Formats: sequence, structure tokens, C-alpha cells
Amino acid sequence: MSYQEKRTITTIVTGLLVLAAYCLYAFNPVRLSALTPGDLKPWAVTMLIFIGIGVGASIIIQIVFHILMSISIAIKEKMRNMECDDKEIEKTIGAEMIEDERDKLIELKASKVGFGIAGGGFLLALVSIVLKYSPVVMLNILFLSMSLGSIIEGFVQLTFYRRGVWHA
Amino acid sequence: MPKKFEITNNIRKLRFFSNEMTQQELAEKAGASRQTIIAIEGGKYSPSLELAFRIADVFGVQVNEVFGYEIKE
Repeated sequence: MSYQEKRTITTIVTGLLVLAAYCLYAFNPVRLSALTPGDLKPWAVTMLIFIGIGVGASIIIQIVFHILMSISIAIKEKMRNMECDDKEIEKTIGAEMIEDERDKLIELKASKVGFGIAGGGFLLALVSIVLKYSPVVMLNILFLSMSLGSIIEGFVQLTFYRRGVWHA
Repeated sequence: MPKKFEITNNIRKLRFFSNEMTQQELAEKAGASRQTIIAIEGGKYSPSLELAFRIADVFGVQVNEVFGYEIKE
């Protein structure tokens, strides 16, 4: 499995963990019973906090992942050739983590799917307002569709890495 | 309806005739990742024109000696 695939998996896992944490916290019956129906402020605050947690967790996990990958590549390189120096190890790490046109194409194609899902969520949120659901439902549809969009984007990236990707 | 083309390549053969050049060496010389070279060789990715020229340049041959196409029915 390549570095890019492993990185995508960590992104998916981070997204899933943050989404699960949001659902457990936001839809907790105890919390829901304490909220005033139609009051959007607690929902907005919760979503803002979880967006912050998501961004922070994503940055920290990516840094930790990068460090662990570098250590693992360095160990493998040392085991393969005991006499290799730091420069050679750095070169191997750089070669493993290089991002080229294929990665960019995969990212682009997957992000189209992610934006599509987020866009679909936006339409669904509008429909929920037309059908006279509470604005809380609309806010949650927006938040969940964006979170799901980013997770599914990761799965689509993995599929492209496995099955191959072609222009057009 | 337009015909479907499949891009083929002779990279494995060319690597063999270049002193069994490794995929990593080719990747470094062509400025791509090893995974991309593996994908191109396995027919799982069609490179951009620029990368195709760079790969041909590494082997010192014309692009059409590295890449070809087959019409799929």
C-alpha cells in the first residue's frame, strides 16, 4: 500500500471519528431534551466546535502519521542496507512521499464526488425547509452532508488508487 | 459513437533493455512517483503528454516507441 493510500485512510478514519463524536454528542437524548425547540444557537456552537475539532485532529493526525511513516521507511531502508547514510534515507522518504500528476488527478476526481454530495445535501436542506421541517434539521443536513462528502471523497480516492484512473 | 482507445506501453520491455532499470530509478528520472510508474506499466493510468515525453526521454526513444494504442471494439 502506497503512502498516499495510507494517508487517505487516516483522513477517512479521522473524518469518521469526528462524525461519530458529533452524532453521539449532538443527538444525545439528554442534550436534546435540554434544548429549546427552534433555538439554532446551541447547534451552531456545537457545529463550530466540531469543525474546529475536525481541523485540529486532522492536522495532528497527519503530522503524527508523517512522522511514523518516515520512521518506518528509515527502519526499512536501514534493514535493507545497513551502510546507507542519512542522505540516502532522506531521499527514499522523499521518493515515497512524492505527489505527482496522478495523485492530483485522483484528488480532483474524488473532490468532484465530495462536492456533489455536499451539493446534494444543500438541495436536501432546502427541500427540508420547503417541507416545513425545523431549521435545526436543515443545519444538520448541511453539516452531515459536508462531513459525509469528505469521507466518501476519501473512499473514492482509495478506489481510484486501487482500480486505476484515466483522463476524461 | 466514438471508438474507444486503450493506451498500451512497452515500459517493462524498455526497462529490461536499459540494464533492468528499476521502477524507482525510472520514477526518479522521469519526475514521477514509483506508484505512478507501476500504474502506467499495469495499464491503470494513462500519463499526461508531458510525463509520456519525459519517460521516452529517459529511455532515449520516441514517444511512440514507449506508448501505443489499441482500438477497443
